[in-house]
Amino acid sequence: MRNKRLFILMIGLIVFIALMGFTLGRKKLTWPEKFVNDAIGTVQGVFYRPVGAVADFFRDLGRLSDVYKENELLRQTVAQYTQDQIRFNMLEAENKRLQEELNFTERQKQLDNYRYLIAQVVGTTSNPYEKTIKINLGSRDGVQPDMAITTVDGLVGIVSRVSTFTSTVKLITDLDENSSAGMPISATVLGKETQSFGIIEYDEESGKLQMTKIDERDPLAVDDKVITSGLGNIFPKGIIIGTVDSRQVGDFGLTHTAVITPAAKFDHLREVFVVVVPEVDGP
Amino acid sequence: MRINRVILWTLLLLIIETAVFPWLVPPAWTERLLPHLAFIMTLFVSGFGGRHPAFLFGLGFGLLQDILFYGNLIGPYGFGMGLLGYVAGLAAERRSFTLAFFVWIVVVGGALLDTVVYLIYKLFGLTDLSYSFVFYWQIAPTTLLQLLFALLVYVPVRRYLVKPSLSSGEDNPE
Repeated sequence: MRNKRLFILMIGLIVFIALMGFTLGRKKLTWPEKFVNDAIGTVQGVFYRPVGAVADFFRDLGRLSDVYKENELLRQTVAQYTQDQIRFNMLEAENKRLQEELNFTERQKQLDNYRYLIAQVVGTTSNPYEKTIKINLGSRDGVQPDMAITTVDGLVGIVSRVSTFTSTVKLITDLDENSSAGMPISATVLGKETQSFGIIEYDEESGKLQMTKIDERDPLAVDDKVITSGLGNIFPKGIIIGTVDSRQVGDFGLTHTAVITPAAKFDHLREVFVVVVPEVDGP
Repeated sequence: MRINRVILWTLLLLIIETAVFPWLVPPAWTERLLPHLAFIMTLFVSGFGGRHPAFLFGLGFGLLQDILFYGNLIGPYGFGMGLLGYVAGLAAERRSFTLAFFVWIVVVGGALLDTVVYLIYKLFGLTDLSYSFVFYWQIAPTTLLQLLFALLVYVPVRRYLVKPSLSSGEDNPE
């Protein structure tokens, strides 16, 4: 009797290790998984959004005193924005003219023309080692694996699995350098795009991002805004990641590392944007 | 145990756990309080329904949770909840099922489930946190919260989800 139990436990262990190993690097979902995801995802959305709205309402009540200050700040930003808009239009026209003259192909011209799809969050996981959220856009809406996810504040994550009506998003807090599933994000500094470069990783214990492999002569300084550089072809370029907190010499003394405070909050998310990079149809 | 009703309620709890509960936790604690309500129901099943239903129940809901939030791999919760459901059922059959004993099962089971999941992620190299940190940071607060939840639903579960004939046999005065 005892042997039989042990035997079954062993078989179960082997089956599960095989299952975990098999599902470890997989990107596609089979139809039962898609069905379960879509069915439960829809119901989750029914709960998550109203509860989120109520919770946000109460939090907003607490912040009512800050609204005046925030309004002032926004007004200044808008004034700044109108000036920038004029400059931007001129530069864009100029850029287009130059691209015409240099015979850019249609693909090269469209490369930076990102589309943003708005998505509602319908659920978050309770698994502490895989920080994932669920959004209510799926393959039907043109979402594909490895697309970047942002909020209005900055980069949040990357699409990990897609089913027909919902998708699972891996937060960048899950992209740890030391984990086998980690994924480095190449980053640069806003305003110093050509001179600055580093790799972003997440440090689980401190809850902050870390930018490593920064060159000694790099002009990166405290309070600089860090954005994605678009090198490496996973993340589109120009998405805000965070601000530089401090900079110090790295582990081996050859390169520098910087601690970065993420711009986006990763909890209590309600609306996110899926960044769609235009289709690259052949070279 | 009215197993059909339990399954329905657990489905609802799973949705509450992922869609409503995150809003109730203050932002500073979102990484620390991650209760597994479906697991608590598995422990109820193991106490009132026996070890085999508990095993299947834990396996099913664990796998469901794994599939719903499929980040890196499927299976840690399916394995952990199935195994611990069975072990808890085994323990519950040896002793009379009192409230004090149930408290122990929830505390030890909750801590063990998170430990099993941690070990699986460690095995596959997906996390590099140390166990002592994980225990202090996430397992201990989560376990206490799970205990609180289990005590809150203990009376309703006993009243509405356990068949009267079965529970009266176990209902010994303590």
